[in-house]
Amino acid sequence: MSAVSSPAPQASSGARARTINRIVIYGLLALFAIFYLMPLFVMLVTSFKTMDEIQNGNMLSLPHAPTFAPWIKAWSEVCSGLTCVGMKGYFWNSIKMVVPAVLISTLLGALNGYVLTKWRFRGHILVFAMMLFACFIPFQSVLLPMATILGSLGRFGVTLQNATGFNFGLGNSTVNLVFVHVVYGLGFTTLFFRNYYEAFPTELVKAAQVDGASFFQIFRRIMLPNSLPIIVVTVIYQFTNIWNDFLFASAYAGSGDVMPMTVALNNVVNTSTGVVEYNVNMAAAMIAALPTLIVYVVAGRYFVRGLMAGAVKG
Amino acid sequence: MAFLEIDGLKKRFGNVEILKGIDVELEKGGFLVLVGPSGCGKSTLLNTIAGLEQITEGEIRVEGRAINDLHPSKRDIAMVFQSYALYPNMTVAGNIAFGMEMRGVPAAERQKAIDKVAKILQIGHLLKRKPSQLSGGQRQRVAMGRALVRDPKLFLFDEPLSNLDAKLRVDMRIEIKRLHATTGTTIVYVTHDQIEAMTLATKIAVMRDGEVQQFGTPAEIYNNPTNIFVADFMGSPAMNLVPATIGGNGSGLSVVLKPDARAAISLPLANAPAGLSAFKEKPVIFGVRPEALTDPEGAERNASNIATADCHIEVIEPAGSDTFAVTNLGGKAVVARLRADAKIQPGTVTPLAFNLTKAVFFDPATEKRIL
Repeated sequence: MSAVSSPAPQASSGARARTINRIVIYGLLALFAIFYLMPLFVMLVTSFKTMDEIQNGNMLSLPHAPTFAPWIKAWSEVCSGLTCVGMKGYFWNSIKMVVPAVLISTLLGALNGYVLTKWRFRGHILVFAMMLFACFIPFQSVLLPMATILGSLGRFGVTLQNATGFNFGLGNSTVNLVFVHVVYGLGFTTLFFRNYYEAFPTELVKAAQVDGASFFQIFRRIMLPNSLPIIVVTVIYQFTNIWNDFLFASAYAGSGDVMPMTVALNNVVNTSTGVVEYNVNMAAAMIAALPTLIVYVVAGRYFVRGLMAGAVKG
Repeated sequence: MAFLEIDGLKKRFGNVEILKGIDVELEKGGFLVLVGPSGCGKSTLLNTIAGLEQITEGEIRVEGRAINDLHPSKRDIAMVFQSYALYPNMTVAGNIAFGMEMRGVPAAERQKAIDKVAKILQIGHLLKRKPSQLSGGQRQRVAMGRALVRDPKLFLFDEPLSNLDAKLRVDMRIEIKRLHATTGTTIVYVTHDQIEAMTLATKIAVMRDGEVQQFGTPAEIYNNPTNIFVADFMGSPAMNLVPATIGGNGSGLSVVLKPDARAAISLPLANAPAGLSAFKEKPVIFGVRPEALTDPEGAERNASNIATADCHIEVIEPAGSDTFAVTNLGGKAVVARLRADAKIQPGTVTPLAFNLTKAVFFDPATEKRIL
């Protein structure tokens, strides 16, 4: 009798252990999620509260009378230093910097990856290793040399201006930042594309060669259309990094109306006249964070897929 | 002057010589198969003909014109790759027309060419699909369509059937043969499968370690292998290669085989090759294909030199169409091919007929054929 009935309790004890495991795992995950989401929650609710409510109420409570006034003020009225025109100008500064920088660095990274895997030359490993090295150089160590280079480019721009009447954007702070971010991002974008193209079937390139496609035709018609996952990864990565960058932005475009969003936000929060308007500051911070959030939400499902692609050969 | 001539072709990667002086030629409308074990350089040779690899020395000529310095697209060739290499982002029609598009052929003309090829290969209903929506056999057809549509001077096939399952492989093999017969194109075909080589080729080049071991018609390669490697590589089941000695009584020579733990067998040779007399009382490698080693009733009627000897049968392998009997001669398992209904039992001693007109001899030192 006991021999017959013994499997049942064993099975149920196994099931119980599994349930406990599940509870522990999901409980921990939920805890971490709450830990990370709490600041976002506080920012969001605070940005919709009035100052009265912030000063008298609980930090975690939902707004009694939600208002968009702090958001509107943050967008178009808030003071950054002495100029009080809101964040909108700086928001567009960041957009004007981040879009070209992301596009150029992604495209060049793809081109590098294409050459380093499909048009190998003597010493291609050394070149790749040196490009990888760019990923490990600390930002701080390039600040001064880069400032010198940008200064020279600016003077060259003045010379061009005098000679041709047009400075080709040299010396412009936004152009400078685009340049810096493209150079700094190349190591990463090359790494991403090189690893992806390493697993990309070389026979396709050979077939296209036999079909008479040129170097750039193969790149445009064969490589790029089959690179969507890694393009998404690179764009997300570059967009987030460049948008969030504070060091380069404050060093090379740290004042005046050319500031990117991050520097302006810092100035807004540090501007100390009268009461600190937490709700406006939070709204400004949310505005600064929104584009990266949107990029993640729109393209995020490709992100993990793309990071994994190329790691395992199919 | 042959249609395709490869003359003293060498290919080096750094200090490593991959191809060590290849000389091959093919007539117009011929079907040349490059066959050999993996790493023998056959795919590299094909890639040099395609222009995907540069050559270090020598010359490749098509219709007398050197093409080895031309870009792949200028050589008037088409290639079918092992993985088919269909562009995943384009439809079947787009894949077939890509080459024409690159050469700036007008859209209407491209459409006409696509339709023509689709009709030949019966892939008309697939034209709007992407490669990922096709089966293996269909992809293979599309890959051939992409080659056919160019109407090139020379077709190159790089192990095109190795990714298909066994049944489909046989079907596609017949299809390629039919295509070759109907279109009369000139084809160079790489495979490691000696059956594909035998069935498809008009000329075979057996390669090993970057050298052509033998170049000739399938019959020449099969019946008159120049060395042990070719003899062993071509044919299934493989040729029996047995250590033996040459015995002589007066003018006639005989081949002496040593079965395990039994008296030596001496088979008189009526038409021994001239070079064999130098090997009297010396060891040789005696080569006989399974179909030349049969039961006495199944032996070839009009063969001039048939010798019978008693052999100890160790294993019987009925294969349906034939029965294979395994015996032991000179320390090696030797396969005889018997009729399917042959009454033979394992463990018995049975007379087997050696068709010595089909037998070949090799020098064990140089591994070359004794002629």
